[in-house]
Amino acid sequence: MSGHHISSSKFLWGIGSALFFLTFITVAVTWFHIPGPWNVVVAISIASLKAMIVAAFFMNLWWDSKFNSMLFVTAIIFFLLLIGITLLDTLFRNDPVPTF
Amino acid sequence: MSDTSAVEERPKHLKHYFVDSDQQFEASKMGMWVFLVTEILFFGGLFAAYIVYRAWYPDLYLQASTELDTFWGTVNTAVLIGSSLTVAMAIRSAQLNQIKGLITNLWITIGLACVFMMIKYFEYAHKFHKGILPGEYYTYEGIAHEKANIFFSIYYMMTGLHGIHVIIGIGLMLFLVIKAKKGAFSSGYYTPVEITGLYWHLVDVIWIFLFPLLYLID
Repeated sequence: MSGHHISSSKFLWGIGSALFFLTFITVAVTWFHIPGPWNVVVAISIASLKAMIVAAFFMNLWWDSKFNSMLFVTAIIFFLLLIGITLLDTLFRNDPVPTF
Repeated sequence: MSDTSAVEERPKHLKHYFVDSDQQFEASKMGMWVFLVTEILFFGGLFAAYIVYRAWYPDLYLQASTELDTFWGTVNTAVLIGSSLTVAMAIRSAQLNQIKGLITNLWITIGLACVFMMIKYFEYAHKFHKGILPGEYYTYEGIAHEKANIFFSIYYMMTGLHGIHVIIGIGLMLFLVIKAKKGAFSSGYYTPVEITGLYWHLVDVIWIFLFPLLYLID
């Protein structure tokens, strides 16, 4: 509960190394030319994993008050709602794509 | 009623409306998280634009992203992750009352942030030179797609807004260095370091998504 969790520097370096490694993986998977739409799925999955690692261990949500995690998750849910409702419109239009 | 609270020993940083330092720290941190929620939705609008146009013009994204240099994008990703690590180390130093380490880690972070902006500057300058400008100012003819300017409008908006956040972050960290040199922080009070760290990690997270979505489409 306390906001004063102190990570050891070994732990922080470990998290940093994991992020560097996942960055390498992000680039490496593009060498295999995974057919779409799976290339996007893979790229977003790795990016989400990296984002989760940063949020949990650099932003300390893992040890933090659950309320802050709830705020973060709420932001993601509302973002997905924004995307979802927008795509319900733009993906299913009968008219051609607008000129802009 | 009585003036017992006036004689009570309260640390200088503690505002009178908080019970103790922990409560003040938790309140500040929660406030920062609320701000980060608004930041996620702020960028969320741009990600929505990206997704809508990518669904409309999948070929455009494939062609236009070849103009972005994967190598420098990768370097910048590594630079930002490195700076997130040094910010986390800066917070650790503050927690352990190692003010010298705090200042050193902040300087390294500022340095990495400047490297990021330099690379971004060279990327932008190279594109401007070729006539790859946003919207109606787009004059480059190397991409055989009539909507090429749209991709770059989205590119400049997303990376530009992100870049502004990096510059603000540099300013905040310079402020922290000045405060730390004046002896404002200790293991008992490092709230500004903690919440600036949260901000900086979010800027890193945004870039973690921008990098594959813009640079790595082929």
